[in-house]
Amino acid sequence: MATVTPDLGRAGGSGGEGSNVLRLGKPFRYTVLILVGAFFIIPILASARFSFLGNNNSYTLSAYTQLFGTPQFWSTLWLSVKVGVGTVALTLVLLIPTVIFVHVRLPRLRRLFESVSLLPLVIPSVVVTLGVITSFRNLPNIIYGTPVILALEYVVLALPYSYRTFDSAVQSIDLKTLVDAGQSLGAGWIKLLRFAILPNLRSGLLGASILTFAFCLGEFAVASLLSFTTFPVFLVQVGRLEASQAVALSLIALIFTWIPLALVMIVFSQRRGARRVAGVESAIEAAVAD
Amino acid sequence: MSETTQAATSLGRGGVEVEVRGLSRYFKDTAALKSLSMRAEPGELVVLLGPSGCGKTTALRMLAGLDAPDEGAILIGGKDVTSLPAAKRNIGMVFQSYSLFPNMTARENVEFGLRVRGKKSTERSDRSAEMLGLVGLTSLADRFPHQLSGGQQQRVALARALAIKPQLLLLDEPLSALDAKVRAQLREEIRRIQLELGITTFFVTHDQEEALALADRIAVMHQGRLEQLDTPLAVYSNPATEFVAEFVGTVNRLRGVVVDAATVDVELVGKVSYGNGQTLSPGTRVQVLIRPESLGVTPATDDGAEVISRSFLGASTKLSVRNPAGDPIVVEVSVAEAAGVADSPNVKLFARGEALLVRPAPS
Repeated sequence: MATVTPDLGRAGGSGGEGSNVLRLGKPFRYTVLILVGAFFIIPILASARFSFLGNNNSYTLSAYTQLFGTPQFWSTLWLSVKVGVGTVALTLVLLIPTVIFVHVRLPRLRRLFESVSLLPLVIPSVVVTLGVITSFRNLPNIIYGTPVILALEYVVLALPYSYRTFDSAVQSIDLKTLVDAGQSLGAGWIKLLRFAILPNLRSGLLGASILTFAFCLGEFAVASLLSFTTFPVFLVQVGRLEASQAVALSLIALIFTWIPLALVMIVFSQRRGARRVAGVESAIEAAVAD
Repeated sequence: MSETTQAATSLGRGGVEVEVRGLSRYFKDTAALKSLSMRAEPGELVVLLGPSGCGKTTALRMLAGLDAPDEGAILIGGKDVTSLPAAKRNIGMVFQSYSLFPNMTARENVEFGLRVRGKKSTERSDRSAEMLGLVGLTSLADRFPHQLSGGQQQRVALARALAIKPQLLLLDEPLSALDAKVRAQLREEIRRIQLELGITTFFVTHDQEEALALADRIAVMHQGRLEQLDTPLAVYSNPATEFVAEFVGTVNRLRGVVVDAATVDVELVGKVSYGNGQTLSPGTRVQVLIRPESLGVTPATDDGAEVISRSFLGASTKLSVRNPAGDPIVVEVSVAEAAGVADSPNVKLFARGEALLVRPAPS
């Protein structure tokens, strides 16, 4: 009988026996958790309270009802969503083949590509904006002067987040071997990507998409510079006139970002949980049967 | 009818002849493969054996179409496939690292090659059931790769490679990540399946024991060149070069003087016969390469070789001795013969077999 020693500790997600933090015990861990939670939650709760505050310290929904009744709220939100979706689509179209090609054919250039992807963090966004505008100056009107140019700007500006997230996901699988295996079985690149590679990079694709979308929903400087009234630009305009509406708008923006994030996290944690349980059961069976 | 016979019938073919002609591959200024030429007969299992960096995996990847040669040609079944992409070669390949698609079950992995070929669902499921039966994993068909042990994953990879009815099977160190017992088990299973299907197979390994146990013929490679292509017995007992003699098995390098065209006088051992088509003039000082099991021992007084250690190996005993100059010599003898010198600190050596190779001593 062959002996297989399953990695039950890892499969079960436990471990960390040597961790000093875990040795400090539950009270310490809960204290840290509460403090960090409070750091994030208290300002949001305070903002929420302020947005509901009416005259004479009464509570009212007027900030929200007025916002929802403003046509500009919906038009700017719709513009931001459109630009966000377009940016995500364009990012994925560029990112997937680039990262996969670099990993499979040009692994030595991986560091260089990673460094280039970080450039938007160190180059001022005004410079990037002017660079993109200059580059696309001679393109047809469908791009230049329309929100498409904004999506092109955001593809570049969100690159540090999207590239690194997707690149990390690609690093977590043995991409070269999977590509070799798929090709030896007769798969061309399209079938290989569709059936074998992209399903294994789903978390990276979702992560990159959500970060890019969230970036688009919160970006103010470039949109303002290019004279597009997106959701964040509208938020600033409202803030100049009505503080409680501006805060309400911020909370709405937060919720719009959080909902997809939370959904993805819930879906993935459930899937991981199910796989983990199945993995432990199988490892035990393999140890007994092999 | 057994599952293997059924599979062989369904594959509906014997192996094909494979020939490589002058295959070379350069990485910048380094030659990974230098003019490799060899031929595998239909249904033959050829093991590419050599140390890391000898070019064996490069050769295999070029056969698979995953890498392109800078020079030379590859012919499979008489057809030149040198410029044919991997996806169109119809070659099954099993990789060293676990290469199953993590998002697919064992069954889906096996069906993958058929799926990309547009085969119908019923045909796919019949074939995957047949192939998983062939490797003894029918009951684990719905498990994901992370729910399988290493040995089980490589079995699924083998079933997946065979499911497409390949004309050639390539195995790139498929057992190197497994523990010793599973490795030996799977090795026998691979050989059984290969023999029953009669599929031409190339198997890459750096493990000489694996090569000797599996191969119809072994291609020993060194620094991008083919040193010898012959049967395991010939490679072991009649090595073409010093590298082959030293890489396949253990070898002693002893000093000697040529007596005549068939005999050499070896220090501490005495007269040893040699052949291998070597012609050296009498009196030439030489180095003699001889296997540990070609030497025997008898008790000696102070003038013999000093015994350093004795290792009991079960069926035999290995003695490590050294000559007066301090050079180590390894001798492998029967347990009874070792018992005869158990109390002797010194032993006298004698030859019970031929020398592998005799080379002029370096000046």
